[in-house]
Parts: sequence; C-alpha cells; structure tokens
Amino acid sequence: MAPVQAAVNLSPAELSFLRSTLSQTPPIRLDYTKGPRDFRSMRAEYDVLPGANGSARIALEDGTEALVGVKAEVEQSHWRPPLEHRSIVSVTEGERMVLDEEESDESNGKGKNSWVEMSVEIPGFRDDDALPVFLASMLTESLLASGELKDRLYINRRYHWKLYVDILLLSPPLSYPLALLSMTTHLALLTARLPALTSEKDEDPHFNDDWDESVPLYPKDNGKDGSTKPIDKPPVIVLAMAVGQNIIFDPCKEELAVADAVLAIACTGPKSSSTGARLVSIRTIDPPSHLTPPGVPNSMNSATGGTVPTSSADALTQRELLANSGVWTPPRGGMRRGLVSQVTKMVVEDGGVGEEVIKALQAIEVG
Amino acid sequence: MEYFSLKRSSALNRGQPNLSSKVYVRSTRSGKVQKIVREVYLRQDIPCSSTLCRACFDNAPMDYTQKVAPFVLSDTPAGSKDYPNGLYLVPDTNAFLTGMDLFETETGFRDVVVLQTVLEEVKNRSLPLYHRLIALTKNEGKRFYVFFNEFRQETYVPRDAGETINDRNDRAVRKAVQWYNQHLVEAVAAKSKKAKRVPSVVMISDDRDNLRKAKADNIPAVTLSDYVSGLENADELLDMISAAQEQREVRSKQAEVFYPEYYTMSKMTTGVKAGTMHQGIFNVSQYNYLEASVHVPAFEKSLLILGRENGNRAVSGDVVVVEVLPQDQWKAPSTKIIEEETVAKNDNPETEGGENIVTERERRALQEEVKRAHDQSTEGKPQPTARVVGIIKRNWRQYVGHIDRDSVKSTSKSSRQQQTVFLIPMDKRIPKIRIRTRQAGELLGQRVLATIDSWERDSRYPVGHFVRSLGELESKGAETEALLLEWDVQYRPFPKTVLDCLPPEGHNWRVPASLDDPGWRGRRDLRDLLVCSIDPPGCVDIDDALHARKLPNGNFEVGVHIADVSHFVKPNNAMDKEASQRGTTVYLVDKRIDMLPMLLGTDLCSLKPYVERYAFSVIWEITPDADIVTADFTKSVIRSREAFSYEQAQIRIDDKSQQDDLTNGMRTLLMLSKKLKQKRMDAGALNLASPEVKVQTESETSDPIDVQTKKLLDTNSLVEEFMLLANISVARKNYDAFPQTALLRRHGAPPKTNFEELGNQLKVKRGLELRTDSSKALADSLDKCVDPKEPFFNTLVRIMATRCMMSAEYFCSGTQAYPEFRHYGLASEIYTHFTSPIRRYADLEAHRQLAAAIEYEQLDPSLHSRHKLEAVCKNINVRHRNAQMAGRASIEYYVGQALKGKDIQEEGFIMKIFSNGFVVFVPRFGIESLIRLRDLATPEPDAEFDAENYVLKVKGDVNRSVELFEKVTVRITDLVEESTGKRKVKLTLV
Repeated sequence: MAPVQAAVNLSPAELSFLRSTLSQTPPIRLDYTKGPRDFRSMRAEYDVLPGANGSARIALEDGTEALVGVKAEVEQSHWRPPLEHRSIVSVTEGERMVLDEEESDESNGKGKNSWVEMSVEIPGFRDDDALPVFLASMLTESLLASGELKDRLYINRRYHWKLYVDILLLSPPLSYPLALLSMTTHLALLTARLPALTSEKDEDPHFNDDWDESVPLYPKDNGKDGSTKPIDKPPVIVLAMAVGQNIIFDPCKEELAVADAVLAIACTGPKSSSTGARLVSIRTIDPPSHLTPPGVPNSMNSATGGTVPTSSADALTQRELLANSGVWTPPRGGMRRGLVSQVTKMVVEDGGVGEEVIKALQAIEVG
Repeated sequence: MEYFSLKRSSALNRGQPNLSSKVYVRSTRSGKVQKIVREVYLRQDIPCSSTLCRACFDNAPMDYTQKVAPFVLSDTPAGSKDYPNGLYLVPDTNAFLTGMDLFETETGFRDVVVLQTVLEEVKNRSLPLYHRLIALTKNEGKRFYVFFNEFRQETYVPRDAGETINDRNDRAVRKAVQWYNQHLVEAVAAKSKKAKRVPSVVMISDDRDNLRKAKADNIPAVTLSDYVSGLENADELLDMISAAQEQREVRSKQAEVFYPEYYTMSKMTTGVKAGTMHQGIFNVSQYNYLEASVHVPAFEKSLLILGRENGNRAVSGDVVVVEVLPQDQWKAPSTKIIEEETVAKNDNPETEGGENIVTERERRALQEEVKRAHDQSTEGKPQPTARVVGIIKRNWRQYVGHIDRDSVKSTSKSSRQQQTVFLIPMDKRIPKIRIRTRQAGELLGQRVLATIDSWERDSRYPVGHFVRSLGELESKGAETEALLLEWDVQYRPFPKTVLDCLPPEGHNWRVPASLDDPGWRGRRDLRDLLVCSIDPPGCVDIDDALHARKLPNGNFEVGVHIADVSHFVKPNNAMDKEASQRGTTVYLVDKRIDMLPMLLGTDLCSLKPYVERYAFSVIWEITPDADIVTADFTKSVIRSREAFSYEQAQIRIDDKSQQDDLTNGMRTLLMLSKKLKQKRMDAGALNLASPEVKVQTESETSDPIDVQTKKLLDTNSLVEEFMLLANISVARKNYDAFPQTALLRRHGAPPKTNFEELGNQLKVKRGLELRTDSSKALADSLDKCVDPKEPFFNTLVRIMATRCMMSAEYFCSGTQAYPEFRHYGLASEIYTHFTSPIRRYADLEAHRQLAAAIEYEQLDPSLHSRHKLEAVCKNINVRHRNAQMAGRASIEYYVGQALKGKDIQEEGFIMKIFSNGFVVFVPRFGIESLIRLRDLATPEPDAEFDAENYVLKVKGDVNRSVELFEKVTVRITDLVEESTGKRKVKLTLV
C-alpha cells in the first residue's frame, strides 16, 4: 500500500521512547488517559448542509475536522443484457417484464459500482495526489463491498439514483484521516434521505414532493420502544495498529510513526438481530514508521568509538542484532497472521470495537 | 473544546424566532429531483388591513412613495344573526374550491381575508380558480384581503412531526383566525376605552375535523352552507356551491363503478414517452356525441374514440392520454347522426342505481355502426380506435345551456325542494350536466350558466353546479350573452386601469399644430395628399385609407395609410395587456365588442374624413403594369378627404362626369387593383367561397327584418388588393429586420387526404376531377367544376372545398422554416396582418415591429422574445377563431329570428349524406340544416344507403331517393331545437 504521508518530526530517540511505552503491558499511549481501545474524543453533528440529502460533520479534539455531504440524483440506467437465471420474457422498452419468483426482492444484485461516486478533498493536496485518491478508493471499496448500498440505489429497470459522496477535510491532515472520514461518511449516509417514490414499476420515476415523506437511504426499523434503529448500516472503517504484542485502536499521528503494522478494518452492523459487527473489508496500510530515519547505535558510530560498517549488508546484519537494544530501527516486514485475526476478532466480536463505534454514531442520530 | 455548530436554522434553534425554513422536493422537467430548502424570514409588520386597527397602519411597510398600502377590510362589516357585531370571513381552501361562484356574487361576501396558506393551496389545486380568486382580491368593492400569514411571526405554524401537510395548513388557518380575533379585540380596545363593537373573524370550512378542532380551541367557525343559509337569497346562493364534495359523501356507500380508473400520471408519461400511449386533445364529433377523435403527433390521421366507456369521462377539449385498441375493435367513422337527446332521452337524473354506462339504446346504435364497418371493408376502411386512459388537463369552462324539462320533477315555482336536474349544454359535444338545485321551477325556460365540478367513476354524467341565469330563452340579451360566453369573448366594460391609459385630452385630442412637437418627430407630413377611405356603410372604426397619383415618369405613386394605433397603445401597459387578451374585435349582427376602448377605435385612431390623423403609411411606386418599383414605409400625418362606402365609391367611379383628382385617383387604384388581382390569380391564389349573408335589422329595435346574401362590388376588391399588397410588403420588411421574431401569418397547404372525399364525390357524381397538387392546380380545377344547368354548383363546390382547408394562423418567424411561411390561399410566400390595428392585435404588433424596422423607435423587449411572441400568437389564433364562430352564431340566431313564424319554400342543395339523414344547404339564407329520415315520415322509414354512390333511397310512403349535390326544394319553418334551446330553421323536403 501506498505510504501514508510524510514522516513526523521525531528524532530516533523519541521514536524509540514512544515505541517502548506503547509496547509495555498495559501500553501507555501518548495521551496517557486513553486505553488501547479508546478513541480520541470527538464532536459530531448531522444534517449540517440543508441542501444535501444527508450530511455530517465530525471534529476531533486535535482540531481535525471533516464534513461530508451526500447528494442523490436520478439517472437513466444503461440497458444491460438480462441475467441468465432470470426468465425475462420480453425485454423491449416500455413493456412490462415478467420476473421469476424473486419478485419481492427485485433490486437484489442490480446495483452497479458506478452509481456511487466519491470525492475526497484534503487541503494542500491536489485531487490526483496519492493520499486523496487512496482514501477515496478505500472508502468506496468498503462502501460497495457488501453490495447493499448500490442495490438500494435501484429505482427500476430504467432509472437509478446516483449517489455523490463529497468528503471534505476542513483542517490540514494532522493525523491520518481515514477513520475520521469514514466515520463522518457513515454518519452522513446513515442520516441521508431519498425522496419517496410514487410511481410504480418501470414508469418514469415520480416522487413525493414532501420532504418529510422521504425515506432514509438506510431504512430504519421502528422498534417497539419507539426508537428507530437502522436495519442495515453503512460500513465504518476502524484503524488499528500493532506495536509488539499490543493492539492499539485509533492511533494518533505520532503513534502511527512507531507502528509495526497498521490495519484498516471496515465493518458494518450485524445482519440480523445478533450483536457484534460484520467484517466488510480489511486492508493493511504501509505504516509511516517504515520511512523514519533509523537511529545510529554507538557501536556503529565512529564518533563514539564504534566502527562504521563496511557494507550495507554488514550494516543490516548489525542492526538486526541490535533490534532490542533500544536504538530506533524502523520496523520491517508485514503483520503476523495471528495478529490479524486477533485484531479482527477485537473489532467484530460481541461488544467489540466495531459495535461500539457504530452504536456511538447511531446514538448521535437518535439522541 | 470550543465548538461551533454549522447549523443555522434548525427547528431547535429558538434563538432566532424570525427565521424558519421549508424543505420540499422539486422534480424538474428534465427529470432531475432536487431537495429545495427555502428560508422563511418571519416579520411582524404585515398588517391585518382592518381599518379598525391603528397599530398595524403605523407599523406597516411603506412603498417607495412613502405610503402605506390602503387598508382593505371595512370597520363596519356586515353582520349576521349569530354575529351581530359584523364579521370578517376566513374561508379555507375547500370553501373557495367549492364556492368560488358564491364569493363572486356582487351582493354578499365582502370583507374576506384570504390567507396565503389558502391562496397557495387553491393555486395548487386549480389554476383557473386561483386566477378568479386573484381577480376578486383586485376588485376594490369586494374588500378581499390577502394576508400573508406564513410570513407573520405570530401566525406562522411550523409543521409538527408526523403531521400531514393538510393538517398543518388547517392548523395554520385556525391559528390565523385566532390571531385575528385577538388582534381585533386589542385594536378596538386601543382605539377607544368604551366597549365598542368588535367584528368576529369566522373561519369557513366544511372539514368536520377542522370544525371540531376549532370548536375545541374556541375559534368561531361555520360551514359554508350554514353560513349561506343565513343570508337573504339563500336558495339561489346554495345552488352555486359546487356539488362535487356533497356528492362524494352521499354516494360513498355505493360501490358501483361505471368507468375504468385512470392510470397514474407517471404511468402515462412513461407510456407517452415510450410511444405506447398518445397524448392529444379530445374532440367530440358535432354529429355524433358518442364519437370523438384525438389527433396525436404520432399519426397523420386522428384516432377514433367510440362510445362513452372508451371516452372515459373526458369532456370535449380536455387533454387526454389514449391507448390504441386491438385491431379487431377498429372501425370506420360514423355515417350516422347520433344525438344524445334522442338516444338518452329517458335518463333519470335522480337515480343512480341500476344505471348503466351504456344504455341499451346506445349499445344498439353502436352495434349497427360496427356491423356497417365490417360490411364495407373496401370503402369505409376501419380506422384505428383508441380509449382514454387518463386526463392530463381538464379544460372545463363554464357552459351555457338550459334545464331539461323532462328531468324536472316538480315545476312549481314555490317549491324549494332540492332536486337533481339535467342541464343540456348548448354545445352538443358536451354531455348533460347533473345539477342539484332548489329553483328548478324558475330555471325552466331560462338560459343558464353552469360549470362541471367533477365526474366520478360511479356517475354516468358529470356533476356540476348552477352559476347564474342569463335570462329568458330566445331573448336577445340572454342569447347574445350566451354566445359570447360560449366563445369566450371578453365583453365586460374596460376596467379603469385601461381607461387611464387613454390620452387625457379625450375627444379633444388633436394632431399637434407645431411641427416641433415631439409627436411630429420622424413623421412625414402627408396632409396634402388626396387620401380617402372606402369601407362598409356605417363603419366608424376606419383602419385604412388610400391615395394614388401619377408620377412624372409615368409610374404611379400609391399609398396605403393605416391608423397609427401603436402611437396610442404603448407596449405592456394595461391597455396593451387588455388588447392582447381580447386579441380582436368581435362583430355580432347588432353589436360590436371592441378590442380597444371606443375613444381610440372610433375617434382618435380612426382615419375619419376632414380631420388630421396620425397614420402609418406604406407608399409604393408602381408601374402601369402593376409591378412594384419601390416600397417605402413611414409614420405620417394625413387628412382624409372623404370616407366612402363601397357603393358610394363605386357610383362615383362609374360616374363619368366626375373628373376631379380624388375620383381619378380612385380610378387609378381600381385599374391597378384589377391587374394585381389577375397576377395573384395567375400565381395560384384561391377564390374560395363561404356562405355570407347579411341580416337587415330595424334601426330602432335591431329586430331582424330580412336576410340577404352579401353583394360584392369592384371597390371591395380594390381595397382588398391593396391591403394584401401592404400586408405582404410589411411582412417582407419585418422579416428582413427580425428574422427570428417577426409576427407573420401562414396558411398551410392542406394535406391531400382532406380533399379525398370531395374529390371522390365530384368524380362519382359529376365525373369531374379535383386536382390538389398545388394551389394553382386546385384553383384551376375548381374553375372547371361547373354544371351548365346549375350556376350555383360552382359556389357549392367552393364552399365545400373551403371546409377542407387548414385554417390560417399567426406564428413567430423563428418557429418555422421559410418554406413553411407560405400562405396557401393567397399564394404568397410571406404574409402578415398590418392593415387593421384597431380591430386586430396582430396588426398592432406588426406596427411596432415595422416602426422598429424603419428605426422610428426602439423595439419593446417583449417583441424580441420568441417565447413571448409565441404565447401572443397562440392566444390571438384562438381569439380569432372564437370571434369568427361567435359572429357566425350571431348570424345564425338572427336568421332564425328573421324566419320566425314564416313558412317559405326555397331551393337547396344536398351537401352531405348520412345513412339516416342528409344535410341541405340553402344559399338564399346561407343556412344548412340536417334532415333526418325520421323527419320525413313517422314511423321512421327504412332507407338504403349506397355509400359508394352517395345515394340514399328512402323506402316506405316517401319512396324517393336523394343524392349528393342534388337540388331539392325545401320548406323552411322554424322551431326551437330541443337539445340546445336555440331557435333554428327547420327544413323539410317538399
């Protein structure tokens, strides 16, 4: 994966200190009040853009702030050949089609990836710079992975909604903004509404002009206690990093600089009434720690009486031997499989991080 | 952590009570769906507009002249039994929708507060009613005040969660009423310490739930009918409440349904776009009320719609969506006359039960038709038929008619019992209207104006309500008003705003004496020319005058001078708007309904003799062979030397002893006009005929005495030729100057199919050939259509050919390609109307464009806009046609009156032949009338119809055959037509 961003301005000694505190049991984070599973505190609000179908804004305490607007437009679908397993009798335009037994769930599998368009804007970056492009593709990927969203955009055989998700980072990227952007997008989608359809079947779509009649993009199930719970939820990406044996969620920029490995885990609410979260996608991210300058150990520094290695291979061997000596060496290699499954479990399990995040974001809307 | 919310106007934000917002979804024409957020700024200075209230007056916003808009509501409004202190009415939306006619009555219903909420709802529900309501609010005497309750802080009501929009609006109305009452109490208290009478503000609503809630909140409210019942002439007023709602409640129990349900709007638009359904205007046949046609863009020929069920509650004029029926249901258009009156005579308006949508008799009539269609598969080819699946737009208007005597149960005038009766509209294409009335006895024998309110699926006929009575059947006043209403002619006196646009000098206006006056700027002084006008006798609105003189080089100078109306009617003022609405002056036999106020039409603009007048002149140099050398256009001042009638002019020209310059000038004009006419004829101009008659009336009472066919003199064609020439010259000039926006007139070439039947008839009956490949060929072949034994035959053919033509229309040059500009009848490449600006709006627009083309003045922006011009053209095309129809209807009425009580034998010709009747045309009176088989003998004789040879063999005692073009002698008597209540001539075969 592409490198996250330019390295932080920490000396090898500082990096070494940070890493050792984080790999203690229990780890001591940069903000020592937070545990390894704690997220940084944030303020969130939704429906901030009256003209958009859905919008949200989240500000972190370090000043990072993101704004997401979701807009939907009706678009004409291009004709595509009928799928084999469907017994469509006639395909001429304007004629009614005969569906097989799947009549009730006719939008299933009809959505297309191109119906969702996402743009990420980050101050100081061009829109074709690596960071915005990479972030956008990550967010799109998780959004489309389950296929539920795009199916929801299906209106009829000739029309669909085109969803534009505009993500704006209002502040400079003080920390790696993936999780923030994802959460803001999640909240915006969760509260997004589409005008209610009044036409039927393959007619040209007509909509109820009353905005209060509009339907949520993610339909809610009206619980008996009066609270409305979305049946299905947009995915949210959780960032986790590994330092030694410790797994730390929602790392800040400096913490990332000493990570052994970074994982972006997209999860969504459980399908049925079961608890926990569902895994949507998972990606490893090249941690910025790989790019940090290594510290020079005394033994390799001629100024302190050491001998400078004769070749780079020699230097590597020497460093390998000094790995646990406390001198900062950028971590190398990937992530162990056991660690990946451990992180995944922590996110997905009952009462895990995923469920926690989703519940917290939903509470913003309900409360 | 410091944190600012980005939200500004949330409902939770109580800090800014003067700001609120409305959110809704807008679907655009292109299919985009947008969420729209409108911010609402609430204010406290919107006045209550009651003259009782001082506080509002002091606080009200002022206009740019530092004046407050005058307050509307009276300080002493009329009271009623329950509200002796007087009351202001606050009707809700339904009250206006059902009772608009009530609110328009002159006698009552004053001091009405129209809430913005209500006004907007009315606008959404019915645009015509909205316009009527707006007209009411502008009527000062009625004291209707529009209160913008949605913008006043105290009366603004945000929508509650889960509340329907109707409930919210009802709540807004109640809130406004509540506020008004409270406000008035405060206002009166502030005015004087003594307890004075405080008017009540009463909500009028028929919504039970709304009334109940009002009662709970102690808000005064009544139903519309309860309120009306308390008024003086309650019976008449109660009839004017729309029947729609009432009926719905009464009939909701019955589930019997006669008509299929309409498709949803989205289904129809999809179908129309996909080409499986078609949209067009529903036109019912004049001869057969069960047959209608819809012309749709997809096909060249119209689609037929047969029977009431397929018609599915469409009324003639509605914009409908139709679906083509399977081929086995196609059939030929009817050759039979079917009139509602004879087929559906015995319907009972009161009962609904057991009623069939198609009665047995109707079904039989249709069956016969279908059989016929199957028999003659070669001749009358079956045509595609269709059925109505939905209505895009109702074009219901007010209909004039009379009450069907047979449908009235109790004719006693004193009985106040409400009964349901049928109103039979004068227009045969409109179905009977079911009306509930308490005054059936009185309305019998009267011309009645009514409207259609609804046509539910479970009702065979539409339901409507009484609007007003025009007067006795056959009385001149009632009949004239009836035909003006039927043809939608605006005949009310000009409003004050229009009269304010007239020159303040009135009849004393003169052309300024000083040449330095701004009125002379750009005008040529043509006062020394020997100009005269030639018009029909008694003409007062003289549009045009002419002159001719010989030039030194042997050519002639000919001038056409047209009244300079555009000098007096400036674009976009009230007078211009009124004129563009009216579109044309309407000439009836005894009456003229002017497009412009009298002062202009008959005096200041009229090119009266012996006085100086502003004119717009077209001056040509013409060779003795009538070739145009140059054409010049200028604004001018002229002094007409004489105003001739056609006859006077003819006598003067023919009188050899008259050798003065003026008479010689007229002779020159006559000579040139004949050459011009010949040229036009050579180019293929048509000489068409229409049966024109003139009704002679007694001068005092204008009762008709006699009917004559119009005589045509040489001088008629003299004027006509030069007017055509002027029109063509101006059209060229305007088109050169404004290729996109010139207002022109075109006459499309008729499609060949139009002449098919006439051509076939001529071939079969007379062995003549009608060639229609060009107007020239048509003109020539029409000339050959002569019957040596019958001189009138040629005219008859011309009359019939005229009916096959398209009608000419105004258009904006940008909307058509140049070849489409052609005027078929006149065989001119380009044409417009320029010569009658006093009586036609199109001419006025042409004047303005010409004035700009010669750089006399700037062109008004409205004449630059193709869009606006198209709207103008559309309107004047309709007005023009309506004016012609109204004129004809007026002549028809007077011919009927002139023949009243007479019994004459005249010769006539058979024009059209059906399987159960035929149409006879009587040239002497210009009348045509239907003779049905059953008129020949009783019982109705059998007949054999030979459609291929156009012969109808009548059997039985009559035992004679009639054929097309046959000359027959008919006996003319008069009778009152049962179906329309019109006095009509009745023809019987002798």
